[in-house]
Amino acid sequence: MQRDIGKPLFDLVLLIASAAAFALSTTLQNVEIAGDLSPSFFPRLISGLIFLFAVPCLIKDIREWRAAGASDVAEERPGSARGLVQWGLIVALTVGYILIFEALGYIPSTALFAFCSVIGLAIVSGTWQELSPMKRLKSVLMAAVFAVILAIAIFYVFTELFEIPLPD
Amino acid sequence: MISGYLDGLEMVMQLGTLLAIAAGTLLGIIMGALPGLTSAMAIALLLPVTFGMPPVMGIGMMLGALCGAGASGSIPAILLNIPGTPSSVATTFDGFPMAQKGEAGRALGLAIVASFFGGVASMVILSLLAPPIAEFALRFGAAEYFSLSIFGLVIIASVAGKSLLKGLIAGLIGFFASTIGTDPITGVDRFTFGQLSLLTGINLLPALIGLFAVAQVLKDAFEYDPHQRVQGNTPRIDIARPRFAETLRHWKAVVAGVASGSIVGPVPGAGGSIASLVAYDQTRRFSRSPEKFGTGHAPGIISVESANNALLGGALIPTLALGIPGEAATAVLLGGLMIQGITPGPLLFDGQSGTVYGIFIAYLVANVFMLLIMCLGIKLFIRVLMVPRKQLLAAILVFCFIGVYGVDGDVFNLYLMLGFGILGYFLNRYQFGTAPVILGLILGPIAESNLRRGLQAFEGDWTPFFTRPISVTFLVIAVGLLVLTLWQNHRSSRNPQATSSGEA
Repeated sequence: MQRDIGKPLFDLVLLIASAAAFALSTTLQNVEIAGDLSPSFFPRLISGLIFLFAVPCLIKDIREWRAAGASDVAEERPGSARGLVQWGLIVALTVGYILIFEALGYIPSTALFAFCSVIGLAIVSGTWQELSPMKRLKSVLMAAVFAVILAIAIFYVFTELFEIPLPD
Repeated sequence: MISGYLDGLEMVMQLGTLLAIAAGTLLGIIMGALPGLTSAMAIALLLPVTFGMPPVMGIGMMLGALCGAGASGSIPAILLNIPGTPSSVATTFDGFPMAQKGEAGRALGLAIVASFFGGVASMVILSLLAPPIAEFALRFGAAEYFSLSIFGLVIIASVAGKSLLKGLIAGLIGFFASTIGTDPITGVDRFTFGQLSLLTGINLLPALIGLFAVAQVLKDAFEYDPHQRVQGNTPRIDIARPRFAETLRHWKAVVAGVASGSIVGPVPGAGGSIASLVAYDQTRRFSRSPEKFGTGHAPGIISVESANNALLGGALIPTLALGIPGEAATAVLLGGLMIQGITPGPLLFDGQSGTVYGIFIAYLVANVFMLLIMCLGIKLFIRVLMVPRKQLLAAILVFCFIGVYGVDGDVFNLYLMLGFGILGYFLNRYQFGTAPVILGLILGPIAESNLRRGLQAFEGDWTPFFTRPISVTFLVIAVGLLVLTLWQNHRSSRNPQATSSGEA
């Protein structure tokens, strides 16, 4: 069995989030209509149920995690450190893309995002370090050409073909 | 009914609609051919494109993607022994051995024609069964709609997640998200935190794209390994022409595939892999030469591929007639229908019969396009397997981004999309599943508004929900399913213990 602390941690996050949602639900304004339920009825019921269901999930996942044994720590999710960095990079780049999207306009921001994604993934996945300086230059040029063509092609498809306005 | 078909035919047989269906089918084929990318993702990516289209055109495009992805999963299954979609697992049993014998073209030709037959047969079954089911559902009132929503949520939650509790939690997360926004009856703001974009509730489009496209990109980014490339040594393709005569010679395999796909398809959550494995098993069981299965035997490929596409038509029956999708791809399709302004269910059949029959015809046309595009472009689609993942991930994210932003130009929806993407990634990673979240988002408001409407009509009395025959039937089945799933989970968790104690 593979040890993955993320599983019980995610259950714990659900537990805390549902408790917080329940607490927030109780603060909702109460409006009385004859025969009707209050606006907070469903949010309270749902968050309460999530909390109730998350408890056995957490207990089960902690048991499984402990049963996997401390000896498996070395085997914990092979490649997960690199995967986590790759995952984090894509999330961070996406947040950056959202932040610059309207400020820079569609084409520059999209080209920059696509270029950074391709080169960034090459760097964090370790392929960049295996390349000779000449091949690195070639990769950068290829990524730049890809990024510009992608941005311009999608811009024209959406604005001209589907008439969807995008920020200039 | 005839006038409905004529209206539908008129809607479909327009150049723009036909081109849209062809484009959707092409995208579906490309997505289905790439291992790891799903038909749900293909439909999610198409949603923004279909936004401004007339309903039948937009839905036809999405159906094309569904149909194309259902068929093209066979390409990597046959050539590389890697199923492009979960339902193509059984295609590898005979497809790959046939390709290894130097008959990859024959295997692909059989798969394409069998997919076509399965798709066409399921369209016929869909058009025969969906209208009477919808007509029956016209009797539903508030109590029945509430019970149906609960039934739909329970049924998908019980099969989508690894465990019942996890599936239910995922469904409840969607249900909770559906309560965000202004309360439709009292006008009270719920969890909007002063954010104007949330006043009308969670927008379905960023949720769908986040859960089914961004979550998949994040998963691919986590698993991205540059050293793990698709080898260029795919078997040589002889001639990938459609094998109509050979497929028809094995008509029993086609019938087995169509039967299992059509029976399993409408069962929510049963999924393509079950239909194809059942079809494969039945065909082998009734074969005069069962020993040939697994060695590159044509009926093995035919039964599986016809079941895969027959399943899609079957899964559309509850989606269109009741508004309850069977699995992830039809859940996204349901979301797409709602974005198009179409509310699936009995009223759709009653009020917009032309649109409904147009959808049936569009599904048939999508199958024809699938056949043509697969036959003409098979060598091109094999090259799709060689597309570098880094570039693909970046391109998909850009497409998601533009799709969500382009619809209403609201940057908040981009954050919402990313948030749902991250949530979907963790829900998938820890076996909660994402389909129940969408179901919760769609069915939540139906359940809440009908319960509250019903209570107002019954002057606060809950008993009609448990005494009206149709309503109580749905609730009893839902409870029965919960008990059955809990019992199965309990039994399967006891078995390994029994095995280990036996070994000790």
